[in-house]
Amino acid sequence: MVAAIRRRVPAYFLLAPGTLWLIIFFVIPLYFMGKLSLDTEIPGTLHYHFTWEWSNYKEALELYDTQFFRSFEYAGIATVLCLVIGYPLAYVIAFKAGRWRNLMLFAVVAPFFTTYLVRTLAWETILSDESPVTEFLHTIGLAPGGHILATGFAVIAGITYNFLPFMILPLYASLERIDVRVLEASKDLYASASSTFWKVTLPLSLPGVVAGTLLTFIPAVGDYVNAEFLGGVNNRMIGNVIQSLYLTQSDYSAAAALSFVLMAVIMIVVFIYIRFAGSEALMGQEAT
Amino acid sequence: MGTSGSAKKGAGRLALALAGLAVAVGLAACGSGIEGPVEATGAKVELEKKATGNLVISNWPLYIDKKTVPNFEKATGVSVAYHEDINSNEEFFNKMQPQLSAGESGGRSIFVLADYMVAKMIKLGYLMELDHSALPEVKANLVKNLRHPPFDPERKFSVPWQSGMTGIIVNKEQAPEVHSICDLFNPKYKGKVDFLNEVRETVPLVMKCEGVDTEKATEADWLKAIEKIKTAATDGQIRRFTGNDYAQDLTNGNAIAVMGWSGDAVQLQADNPNLEWRMPTEGCMLWSEDMIIPVGAPNATAAEAFMNYVYKPEVQANIAAYVNYVTPVEGVQEVLAKTEPEIASNHLIFPSPSFIKNCSPTPALEGKEEKNVIKAFDEVLNG
Repeated sequence: MVAAIRRRVPAYFLLAPGTLWLIIFFVIPLYFMGKLSLDTEIPGTLHYHFTWEWSNYKEALELYDTQFFRSFEYAGIATVLCLVIGYPLAYVIAFKAGRWRNLMLFAVVAPFFTTYLVRTLAWETILSDESPVTEFLHTIGLAPGGHILATGFAVIAGITYNFLPFMILPLYASLERIDVRVLEASKDLYASASSTFWKVTLPLSLPGVVAGTLLTFIPAVGDYVNAEFLGGVNNRMIGNVIQSLYLTQSDYSAAAALSFVLMAVIMIVVFIYIRFAGSEALMGQEAT
Repeated sequence: MGTSGSAKKGAGRLALALAGLAVAVGLAACGSGIEGPVEATGAKVELEKKATGNLVISNWPLYIDKKTVPNFEKATGVSVAYHEDINSNEEFFNKMQPQLSAGESGGRSIFVLADYMVAKMIKLGYLMELDHSALPEVKANLVKNLRHPPFDPERKFSVPWQSGMTGIIVNKEQAPEVHSICDLFNPKYKGKVDFLNEVRETVPLVMKCEGVDTEKATEADWLKAIEKIKTAATDGQIRRFTGNDYAQDLTNGNAIAVMGWSGDAVQLQADNPNLEWRMPTEGCMLWSEDMIIPVGAPNATAAEAFMNYVYKPEVQANIAAYVNYVTPVEGVQEVLAKTEPEIASNHLIFPSPSFIKNCSPTPALEGKEEKNVIKAFDEVLNG
């Protein structure tokens, strides 16, 4: 018993720097944000005091539920699009690219050499009303209002574009690890190409799918840059609301409350997802 | 043995250092000024004999010519760090507010902010009272109509930087018939109209379209106008709410009629001659932005020297010729008439009284009314 505890002590000691790091940069800020979310403003002073003001939560949610659901909708659609676009690409890079593999991987990562903001602003120009792209899409009937910018379509497209590498890289990593002998064995046992894919490749790449969807979905829900530049009046996301509560309305309590709810909902969604997808898939085949 | 002991000691020290940091972060958060007691300040500028040292100024982008700052440095020996880091009154205020409420200015000595924000900061005790003995040029040359504004009747805290008009900017070819704020609601221009994200300009302009006297408007009038804007926003009539970025929408052809500021139009026209600022038939909004000295500002003497310097007509002439807004300094038109007659005769830069006869000053909003109006407007902005 004592020996068991003694064995654990060095482990805790080694964890100390990491734990302290988390305490300083995560737990303490979280504590102050939590406290702020239950504060009330002393009228006309911009100073807040703590009053267990739970109505901050109720009010913030009542006012901004639309943007809340919209954020999950946009992020969800963008994640699915990323998966649909990213999987074939990662598959080709992992199995078919041959000597082009490194170049293709570089092409996936290359956009990161420019900042997020500049890449999004570039789309603002590409999709502007008089651009050839918009005019082409309008002629084939894909831009009903004559414009793409300032619509939900543009925001989802922006999110999909910006987060695509976060989907492709984990997918590639898990596909690349697959032992080709397993695929050969499947062929030897007379499996067709498609049943090899569905029964062998896809299940083995599930850790990449789970990691990729999480890496895409979580930051996409809280994103506000795409909605700010590519969206219009009716496409604002919850990130835009929190930003405006902090920086234009000086309503710190409501902003903190919304941030908390957002965090909680994302955690619940992720928890259910991992439960559903199975933790083995997340941890990789070693765990099975 | 010896090595493991010292490693342990090292780790212990690291842990201690991290713990110390944790406490520091905790304390910083407590003293951030958002929470905690209100510290009222009533600081006054105390002048030194001569302006020297460093001066840090925060202003909006493209709001001064290239010569004024170097010339001021040469004339006084003060070294100036001029930051163009203000993009929105609210955002700048909210970024600075935790420091201001702790009596600090973030090293800056001059801010340039809109009248209503200055009014708010006076009430919160965030500004230093000016010593007018160092501002003789301001006393001599400040235009009559800006000498006694309601929010600062004796100009104890503020000196105007520039004024301007908010009206409409249209693409003459694509939106020739837009002459009024009401025209912006014409379904013909659906999805091609931008409104400003400034509650104190957008809503009063719409009230003017509704025939409401903005200076006597009640909360109900404000909310009714906001409702009208909301309907136009959900219908897709209004494409976006913008700040200065309506300029991109106009040049890319995304918008063809917007609410906009007079000075921008003069600059936009240089790129695209089809763009034109129009005085709405209902009248425009008049605003000004002021130089202020925040509490805790270092070197207030140099700050006042700068305020005084830009009020010399020949100095202000350079600024006016560059920024194209309405100058608050008397005698500039005469200086420019000799050097740049085109600018001196531009009615957007030197508007005649008959040109602005229907215009109104930015209305004051206070207390609960302000809160409700801003809340309603922000709900519209956030769709």
